[in-house]
Amino acid sequence: MSEILIKNASVCDPAQGINCETMDICIKDGKIVESVSANAKVINADGRLTMAGGFDGHTHSAGKINVGRSINPNDARKNLVPGLSGQVARTEKTRAQVGYNTPNTYAIGYRYAKLGYTTICEAAIPLIAARHTHEEFKEIPILDKMGLSLFGSNWQVMEYIRDKEPEKLAAYVAWGLKASRGYGVKIVNPGGGEAWGWGKNVSGLYDPVPNFDVTPAEILMSLAEVNERLQLPHSVHVHCNNLGKPGNYATTIETMKLFEKIKPSRDRQALHVTHVQFNAYAGTSWRDFETGAPMVADYVNGADHLTFDLGQVIFGPAVTMTADGPVEYANARMLHEKWSNQDIELEDASGVVPLFYSPKSFVNAVQWAIGLELALLVKDPWKVMFTTDSPNGGSFVNYPEAFTYLMSAKRREEVISGFSKMALDRMVLPGIDRELDFYELAIMTRSAQSKMYSRPEKGNLKPGSDADIAIYDILPGQIDPSTEYAKVKKAFSGAAYTLKNGEIVVKDGEIEATPKGKIYWVNAKVPSAIDSAMQKDIDIKFRKYYTVSKSNYMVEDAYLQKPVEITTEGVF
Amino acid sequence: MQVVKLSLKEANKIPIEADNTNPDNFAGKTEEEIKAILVWYGNDQYPLGDFFNVKVEGSDSVENTKLVFEGDVSRVKRIGQNMSAGEIEINGSVDMHCGFGMRGGKIVINGDADSWLGCEMTGGEIILNGNASYYVGSGYRGEACGMRGGKITINGNARDYLGEHICGGEILVKGSVGLLPAISNNGGKIIIEGNATMPASEMKSGTVIIKGEVSDLLPSYKEEGTEEVEEVIYRKFVGDVNVGGKGVLLIK
Ligand SMILES: [Zn+2]
Repeated sequence: MSEILIKNASVCDPAQGINCETMDICIKDGKIVESVSANAKVINADGRLTMAGGFDGHTHSAGKINVGRSINPNDARKNLVPGLSGQVARTEKTRAQVGYNTPNTYAIGYRYAKLGYTTICEAAIPLIAARHTHEEFKEIPILDKMGLSLFGSNWQVMEYIRDKEPEKLAAYVAWGLKASRGYGVKIVNPGGGEAWGWGKNVSGLYDPVPNFDVTPAEILMSLAEVNERLQLPHSVHVHCNNLGKPGNYATTIETMKLFEKIKPSRDRQALHVTHVQFNAYAGTSWRDFETGAPMVADYVNGADHLTFDLGQVIFGPAVTMTADGPVEYANARMLHEKWSNQDIELEDASGVVPLFYSPKSFVNAVQWAIGLELALLVKDPWKVMFTTDSPNGGSFVNYPEAFTYLMSAKRREEVISGFSKMALDRMVLPGIDRELDFYELAIMTRSAQSKMYSRPEKGNLKPGSDADIAIYDILPGQIDPSTEYAKVKKAFSGAAYTLKNGEIVVKDGEIEATPKGKIYWVNAKVPSAIDSAMQKDIDIKFRKYYTVSKSNYMVEDAYLQKPVEITTEGVF
Repeated sequence: MQVVKLSLKEANKIPIEADNTNPDNFAGKTEEEIKAILVWYGNDQYPLGDFFNVKVEGSDSVENTKLVFEGDVSRVKRIGQNMSAGEIEINGSVDMHCGFGMRGGKIVINGDADSWLGCEMTGGEIILNGNASYYVGSGYRGEACGMRGGKITINGNARDYLGEHICGGEILVKGSVGLLPAISNNGGKIIIEGNATMPASEMKSGTVIIKGEVSDLLPSYKEEGTEEVEEVIYRKFVGDVNVGGKGVLLIK
């Protein structure tokens, strides 16, 4: 039995409505409890800012990131955020670290922990490549992990939609989650990944997918219905069509509207739209490109069925990696950059392209502004998850820098002062004076995620929750984040303490211990008759098309470190 | 003037990573101080004095400091890395990454150099009185720019990928080179007095002059008349059109 008493913490826990109130936190056996005995080890927080451990619900940290590593070996020596990037020799407690956008697995674990983050969700697992994702998960220390499995351009999915077989579709999704040990349903440019196999793309929600005669709208609706039928903990997680194209904000709003009719099966959103920055562009070409964030934010402010994350841009080098194959082709051509392109057999496409966001480029400057506009124009922070879509918009190690943009108009002005007149004409950010406080920041970085992913034990400090806790070297009453943003950045860059399941993993910004994290996956129950009928269909797929057999396709339990199986009951 | 003479006590099999062995780090230091400088050997660091006899004459600024390696150092890597001034003379062959990231000063090698000679250098001069191996003046793996400034002169031959990704500076090879010299050249100047194979593929800008024979000239170049350089008339090719390049390739 291990007990810890955190004394004199300035607790910011939005889930309980606690806004920087001084109190004690009791921990017993890895959980937060009401009280502890006199034998408890005492951590004196000395009035410092204390939050639940951060939860990054959309990051590319295992799987596709490895392609990023191989096409960017030079990333290994990049050290743009000293302390959180570059080459670090091994110590008694930590393994050697390299990289910035595509760090090695160990560095990912250490660096998130230093930021006070304790849970991450890998945003894209191709079913057939899931084994690799889990192999990487195994080597990412400290953090609890989960991943979203790709279903948006899958042959079997599209066939069941075309043939109007919603029950078999549900059985397939349940099986796919099990095969990949995934946590939720990710849809990337629905239909576009398959169209890319023919060198094409889909142009919008009603553009049929070649050879399947289903539309992106049908894919979205059918998978959303299945998602709710299976009562999955997370909603569908959607990367909209037309990503990265001027004028795409209209498609994004249209997609959001489609979901108004979806009734969530649990107390959470019906739709999560991801990295909306890349999908909130107005204009008709790169010449008249401008922000579409006000229109998207307007719609989101009037809707209560959805959540979204930012995909905030960070100036400097980044690496885009997505199942959106056609987008990566366009990127590589436009930027004359290195390009990796993969065909994920019957399931999707995939691409990786490195790029550089420069404040001197008016397009990049406007992209940077759009992410912040979305965060600041959407009134309810519970609808917003902070992300950089790491490393697509920039590496997660820049989160503390980005927090200063959200918390300080003065800091934003500093950055904006370097933009061209043309860039300023295309954004609304200079007119926004809203500044987030620690409470709102806590919502966007941990508390909202708890509900979004139905993980009540995460993102809050209620008794019974996991003792994943971050203490930052900030005295909330004595700091003005709008002017003292350098202090804010420093404090968030290296937590005074990060606790993972009640164990001190970071102290004074340095790694103290590297326990193994849990892997969450969802086992959705489906009636066996429906399951066997579906199995017959996929057996044919394996026999005729796949390069692997079904028995070699499933991720076995041996691949999961500390698995946590979440079971749900499908409704049939 | 400060002269530091170094000679290996015995030939090493495991390479020594002498990345801090340069005038910047030696200037003004005593023999004992230089001997105490740590270098990587295998997976651990050891004092330089464990491997080298060190003799110091005088004490002076970086500009006026000269390192002299007596004899073969063909298993000592990264000599002269990041040096900004001063001089290094190597009287024997040298291992990989000699002069990596060099910013100024001069390195003279009286022997052969292994791969990655003068990679990513931005200034200064390297004179190699022997043969070079692969990737002279190129970039770190994955990087878009190799050498950006300075000059490398090779009085012997060089192997493949000479000047890969160079973005500036000059490489002069008196002998012949292997495959794909000046690949992805983006602003540098490369002169090869001997022969070359498949030169200047994916060149975006810069100049490549080949005075000897060219094998397998790439089809992605446009011939645009002739050009005279130092009283010699060359056939002028512009490309590589595959990458929309405006580089100039002059051959006989
Ligand atoms: Zn993403």
